[in-house]
Amino acid sequence: MEFIKNFYEGFVFVYGCTMLFWYALLAMLSLRGIIRYQRKNSYVDHNIMVQSPLAPGISVIAPAYNEGVTIISNVRSLLTLNYPVFEVIIVNDGSTDDTLEKLINEFQLTEVVFAYNERIQSQPVKRVFKSVNTAYDKLVVIDKVNGKSKADASNAGINAAAYAYFLCTDVDSIIEKDTLLRMIKPFMDEENKKIREVGEPCPECGYVHVVEDSIRVIATGATLRLANSCEVDEGVITRVRPPRHWLPRFQEMEYIRAYVLGKMGWSLINCVPNVSGGLGLFDKEIAIKAGGYDSKSFAEDMDIVTRMCTYMIDNKLKYAVRYIPTSQCWTEGPPNLKVFSRQRTRWGRGLAEIMTIHRKVIFNPRYKRLGMVVLPYNLFFEFLAPIIEFTGILYYIYLIITNHINWPFATILLLFVYLYSVMITTLAIWWDQMTYRYYKTWKEVMGLALMAFLEPFVYHPLIVFFALRGYYFFIVGKKHTWGNMQRQGFGQKKTTAA
Amino acid sequence: MNKILLVEDDEVMPKIVERILHREEYRIDHVTNGKEAFQKLDDTGYDYDLIITDILMPYASGFEIISKVKNRKEGKPIPVIIVSNAGNEDMVLEGFKLGADDFLKKPVMPGELLIRVKRLLMQYK
Amino acid sequence: MNVLPVFFTSVLYNLRYAPLIIQIACVFIFIAVTCTITAYLSILIGRYKGHRHEKKLAKLHPLIDQLLLDNVLMNEALIHEDAEEIPVAADAFHQPVFRKRWARQALIDRLIHYRNNVSGIMGEQLRNLYIQLELDKESLKKMKSRKWDKKVQAMAELTSMNMSIADVTILPLTNSRNRELRAAARHAYIKLSKNEPFKFFDLATEPLLLWDQVELFRIISTTEKIAIPNFAQWITYSSNKSIISFCLKLVVHYNQISAVPAVEKLLDTRDHYLRADAINCLGKMQIAEVEDKLIRMYNSQPLNCQIEILKLMGRVSSGKHVDFLRQEFLHSTDFDLRKNAAKSLIKNQWAAKNLITELVDTATAENKRILKHCMNPLIKF
Repeated sequence: MEFIKNFYEGFVFVYGCTMLFWYALLAMLSLRGIIRYQRKNSYVDHNIMVQSPLAPGISVIAPAYNEGVTIISNVRSLLTLNYPVFEVIIVNDGSTDDTLEKLINEFQLTEVVFAYNERIQSQPVKRVFKSVNTAYDKLVVIDKVNGKSKADASNAGINAAAYAYFLCTDVDSIIEKDTLLRMIKPFMDEENKKIREVGEPCPECGYVHVVEDSIRVIATGATLRLANSCEVDEGVITRVRPPRHWLPRFQEMEYIRAYVLGKMGWSLINCVPNVSGGLGLFDKEIAIKAGGYDSKSFAEDMDIVTRMCTYMIDNKLKYAVRYIPTSQCWTEGPPNLKVFSRQRTRWGRGLAEIMTIHRKVIFNPRYKRLGMVVLPYNLFFEFLAPIIEFTGILYYIYLIITNHINWPFATILLLFVYLYSVMITTLAIWWDQMTYRYYKTWKEVMGLALMAFLEPFVYHPLIVFFALRGYYFFIVGKKHTWGNMQRQGFGQKKTTAA
Repeated sequence: MNKILLVEDDEVMPKIVERILHREEYRIDHVTNGKEAFQKLDDTGYDYDLIITDILMPYASGFEIISKVKNRKEGKPIPVIIVSNAGNEDMVLEGFKLGADDFLKKPVMPGELLIRVKRLLMQYK
Repeated sequence: MNVLPVFFTSVLYNLRYAPLIIQIACVFIFIAVTCTITAYLSILIGRYKGHRHEKKLAKLHPLIDQLLLDNVLMNEALIHEDAEEIPVAADAFHQPVFRKRWARQALIDRLIHYRNNVSGIMGEQLRNLYIQLELDKESLKKMKSRKWDKKVQAMAELTSMNMSIADVTILPLTNSRNRELRAAARHAYIKLSKNEPFKFFDLATEPLLLWDQVELFRIISTTEKIAIPNFAQWITYSSNKSIISFCLKLVVHYNQISAVPAVEKLLDTRDHYLRADAINCLGKMQIAEVEDKLIRMYNSQPLNCQIEILKLMGRVSSGKHVDFLRQEFLHSTDFDLRKNAAKSLIKNQWAAKNLITELVDTATAENKRILKHCMNPLIKF
């Protein structure tokens, strides 16, 4: 018994220290990344791209399910993105409301015969629409049989996409005007472009075959925020405000920490674990070769990135997944506990699933960073964290009951962990404010930053509980029934949970 | 007095255009995005002699404005000039396909803009 | 009143004998608190500064605009087309506010903003003002800064004002280890150098990134007095593949027929990415003479080149090879090949009317869909 106790205490100690160390490291890395990004982009005129005939084309893919109320203004907002060459593919995922009719009437759509190439399997596509008005010739609307998941709809969109890159988003998210300009840039200025010759000249054609031996950026992501209390006018954000209600406000804080501090830091060492489903720009070729989204997955966004990375490594190709620190997308977060619990339980389950599906990659030195850093980190500090925390609390209770606790020391340690987590969150908000002065008044920023002091008591226990519930559902294999609301805040994933 | 609607989301451009097109000869109404443009057009009953528009703007693109103006059945036809920094050939062609009368790339030459405006106004007289 | 000191001494006393972990924890508590407070202060100070700067700018911009409109952007100049040397009334700008550095910077930025929108005589007037107010000295001062981003900013300002920079200052920077600086220096060199703007095409060993190409392309295509060289020299002799592929794009842009033989030679390169680029270039230039050669090559090519060859036949639209396209359309197993063959067939419609109707009538369901897709003018791709 004593041995187990010592072992457990030792393990938790090492675990805790490593975790805190990682957060500090990430904070440092992301600061570097942000400063570098700011210096690089302070003078860059992204509008050069708008003028350039060399801009690569992008397909914007947005699945829609029963979005009749807002569909028109959201599609309009997508159609007016600031970018020279793009198309907008709206995938009507078997809506039961008037989403499709509204689109047809507003944009003068007509059914066309479309050479749809099903490279990734999805539920059947029924019809494809284009507008007879050339002013809307960027728009493609796909009507498909409901596949019960965003992943399935996205796959259909990818199959229909014409360009080499695709932006995956939700039709109810609001995307900032310059998003495509900013997010395509990492694809274009990754250094070390090289071509490598492989083997002897081919006997058939006499050519020596070559492969690209450069770092290929396969995906980029950007910061997401919550739109819950922002003022929106016909799909355009006119005033950014932190959510008024406490629950979304905690989420906004968590998002800032996860993106600005977490993913930005990971991006610098090319270890980004995930590009959120709310907004991500992908290299289409690699995404298709990796098999597209998994429609059965509970964390399809993390899954596809992991599979794309594995594909690259399996084929001995160098790759990178990058993040930019500026906020480009505002999404409606779960406004109440019921929806929130459903979302987080789903995430918990998704994470458990990822860890099982990709277990062969974890600790596999062949997979380099992915196998030795990205997935192990997620295993220990994302997946196991709620479990360890939970057992930790039980242990504490046991100590208290058996009166083995050294109160002053325990208080100091708790205080330390508490203040440390507050510091990390506050730093994240600081870094975020460096990229751009979000919110109108300093009071709003303070209102958000001060939530960090409450988080460990209110928000964090909720997250731990829902994650554990997700794991439980994963183990017992409970069928998840999707409500209509599952689309709310669908698919973003956290990276840090202090 | 010719009435011109200028749709442009850049803050400096309208000032330049107003400078180039003399106040005594032209009355310029300036709006900053597609939504305002439609509003203005509806409010005035399309009472303009010329429209100068950018392409990439919030709410509604310049293409939509052209399409709406050119597909109007009633009333007198209104000439449209695109003034944009878009260098993509497809975009320029698309504009012409929709019925734009002219295309000027930013930065514009003041003399050129003036002459083209005059010419179009003459043609549509 | 001495409760606190007593408390602290007792804490310190206890701590000295506390386990190491607790001591470390205490240190970190201190660090955490400091960091948090610093963060709060920095956020507040940063916001305040930003807010004040914005307010000042909001006041200054209308002033600049008014001064520019009243004194510089003279409409009368448009009537006298020869008015290149119109003196600019810079005196109005001799106001106390423009002695401040931030205001001068704001003025530079605003002038550039104007110049992005207007060229010709007004553009010249803006440039004259920039010189007369000695704002170029401001930019040159930044050139000497030790920070690379300042240098980049300076070069951006000087290039958009079309000011010359001495080769001695700029040439060393074109080989800088810092990529951003290197790129900016090259762009400036191309724009401003009088002798051989394209010199670095010969020297660059490391690849031109796509983003650099976008910037270079803009500079080359917007600089008015630049002498466009024959790009064939680099297409033939450069060992830097990204430069070759960039030159191919320039050849298309300038429709440089004289470079076509060099591009044709590229069809034998080993690098199939480059080969595809070359075919793409020939297609966009509508060179019909290469079609036969490409058809002979076709079967030994990787997919990306095959697609480019099919596209070329559509672009050239010579009507000579509809049978080849039909063959590919009917018998290829790859979807993209069939689609591109169909698209090119449609583009050769004038020579293949009967063939297309026949194909539509007899093709399999999928092929028919592909054909209909390509025939629909509403679908671009």
